[in-house]
Amino acid sequence: MGVRRRTGGFVLLVNPILCDGFGHCAELAPDLVRMDEWGYPIITTEPVPLANLAALESARYAVRGCPRQALRIERVSDHP
Amino acid sequence: MIALTSPYLWYTTRATGLVTLVLFTLVVSLGTLVANRIGGTTVGRFELNELHRTISAVAMAFLAVHILTTVVDSYVSTGPLATVVPFISSYKRLPVALGTIAFDLMIAVWVSSLLKVRIANQSWRFIHWFSWLAFAISIVHALTTGTDARKGVGLVVVVLCLAVVAGAASWRYFARPTRAAGRTALSPLGAVVDPEPRRSNHVAAPTRPFDQDLPDRRGDATTRPSPPAAPAPHRPQKRRPR
Repeated sequence: MGVRRRTGGFVLLVNPILCDGFGHCAELAPDLVRMDEWGYPIITTEPVPLANLAALESARYAVRGCPRQALRIERVSDHP
Repeated sequence: MIALTSPYLWYTTRATGLVTLVLFTLVVSLGTLVANRIGGTTVGRFELNELHRTISAVAMAFLAVHILTTVVDSYVSTGPLATVVPFISSYKRLPVALGTIAFDLMIAVWVSSLLKVRIANQSWRFIHWFSWLAFAISIVHALTTGTDARKGVGLVVVVLCLAVVAGAASWRYFARPTRAAGRTALSPLGAVVDPEPRRSNHVAAPTRPFDQDLPDRRGDATTRPSPPAAPAPHRPQKRRPR
């Protein structure tokens, strides 16, 4: 009870229609997001294990900090 | 109801009113900084955004105290309903109504921001424009209702707040980037020299297939290949003039 095994992974997804290139996500989650030459995010497509709490927290900060609400976290279950 | 005629209520109303005005000046200015994509090296853009959100919450708290002490103070009768319904205060009907209208607009902006995930982005943006109107109305409210805004320090503060926000408004109008304004300095590639610094807001079409951009180059930012046709001259990263 209380202890839950964190299995699976997550990916950070961007809605390119909503994204306006504010660049907050690249500051908040530098391990997951890098910027292209026009200031738009390129997010790593490989699932990150949910056990990587630091990455998950930074992804949550990026989702919360996006001025256009263009980011979301999606769970990927088939990750080892 | 107990007659609450203590002058301290009145003092609190005046003080919190002025503090609220200053705080909302900060909020509007920080919002303009975020919208104009300022920040990077010393202060991150996300930090300005966080400040914008946090200070607006503090400002709403001060505004609540300002309104509460006004209603509770029975020396002048405004009535509790006058906090949300304009033009029903028996004391200074028009000036108090201006404050009420500004408060209603601020509530709209605040609630829409709390529901930002649930509502369409365009709706949120449209409602967020009302904050400029709310600020303008609250300036008039301060000058017409206020005891302190007529002379001395109070007048100086109000005029300074008005000047700051007027500057922010004109900056927002004239220097607004239409789209992205380049990578930020805190981003992993931020320190890398931009091979082709953009001169305008227009997003140029990519000169090579986008697929070539896809392989993960993270970590080898310093050895990033420059386009073979035009070798990138080494120049310090320059901020786009605004």
